[in-house]
Amino acid sequence: MAAIPMATATPTDSMSRVWSMSSLKSSLPSAVTCRLPSPSSRRPVLVSSPSPRLPSFSGLSPVNPLISTGLPGWQSFEDGFKIIDGGGRVYAMRHGRRVPKLNRPPDQRKALLRGLTTQLLKHGRIKTTRARASAMRKFVDKMITLAKDGSLHKRRQALGYIYEKQIVHALFAEVPDRYGERNGGYTRIIRTLPRRGDNAPMAYIELV
Amino acid sequence: MRLISLNVTYGQRQITNGMDLRSSQVLNKPTVEIGGDDLRNFYTLVMVDPDVPSPSNPYLREYLHWLVTDIPATTGTSFGNELVYYENPCPTSGIHRVALILFRQLGRQTVYAPQWRQRFNTREFAENYNLGLPVAAVYFNCQRENGCGGRRTS
Repeated sequence: MAAIPMATATPTDSMSRVWSMSSLKSSLPSAVTCRLPSPSSRRPVLVSSPSPRLPSFSGLSPVNPLISTGLPGWQSFEDGFKIIDGGGRVYAMRHGRRVPKLNRPPDQRKALLRGLTTQLLKHGRIKTTRARASAMRKFVDKMITLAKDGSLHKRRQALGYIYEKQIVHALFAEVPDRYGERNGGYTRIIRTLPRRGDNAPMAYIELV
Repeated sequence: MRLISLNVTYGQRQITNGMDLRSSQVLNKPTVEIGGDDLRNFYTLVMVDPDVPSPSNPYLREYLHWLVTDIPATTGTSFGNELVYYENPCPTSGIHRVALILFRQLGRQTVYAPQWRQRFNTREFAENYNLGLPVAAVYFNCQRENGCGGRRTS
């Protein structure tokens, strides 16, 4: 009937290390009780649902082992938690990973790309390293696509990315005329001479 | 050098400096009321857009949208002589400033219309007809209606 996994529960009684069903049942409110219909009487079967005094949780909180729900065998306390992750697997190699990291942690990388797209939209052509130029193409195209749509929602999305709001307003006013017929490919990268200080390969990126 | 009050109203909204409008909101000519005190003074109203065709490359500098002369003081443009009829600002590219400038005329029928609307120069115009410095001015920003519909495959 009510199966309580006795191996996992810690005994409350310090004296005895052995559980007994009667002491448990007397101390706890009756959570789930199922009474078999007695063959002698014709009383209706009483099945009481879990008592409304106990909040019914489901989801991430560990299922209380003291409430009997007829459950899996656990080996330790941690098994009660459901583990939610993205399914991430860690490999030793970089095969197939296409996001450029730019030697920066993710927050700094995002800020760098935001600053670079803001400056490109402001000046029309900037000179930067080749890795940064090819990394920012995606975000510049994304901003121009938002401007081509032109709705208020897209304008607010653009305002959340570009650092200067005047540039967003000018972008939304100019893009339909300038890029209305062009489908994608709004930037051009031209490679130039390396930088003198550290011989970094440089490139111009400009709006087509 | 006295300044005159100038009230420009498009529909319900009165124009303040730097206000943002769309081209659909400036389709019809505005109601303009000017101040001053003496009905014998006449004023000229000039409406120009200095950012044509695009603010980053305005080679057609100053497009003349509207020219009304012989407006008596304390009245409006309906009492004046509309030399260049109102053409609504319809920018295709960028955010254009549109300025309305009021000059005081020396006498009646001393101002004539130019031959073309583009490449208008307000300073030269004021010098040619002895209008002096402006007595009132107001400007607003005007841009096109919203985008061209997002990603298109055509």
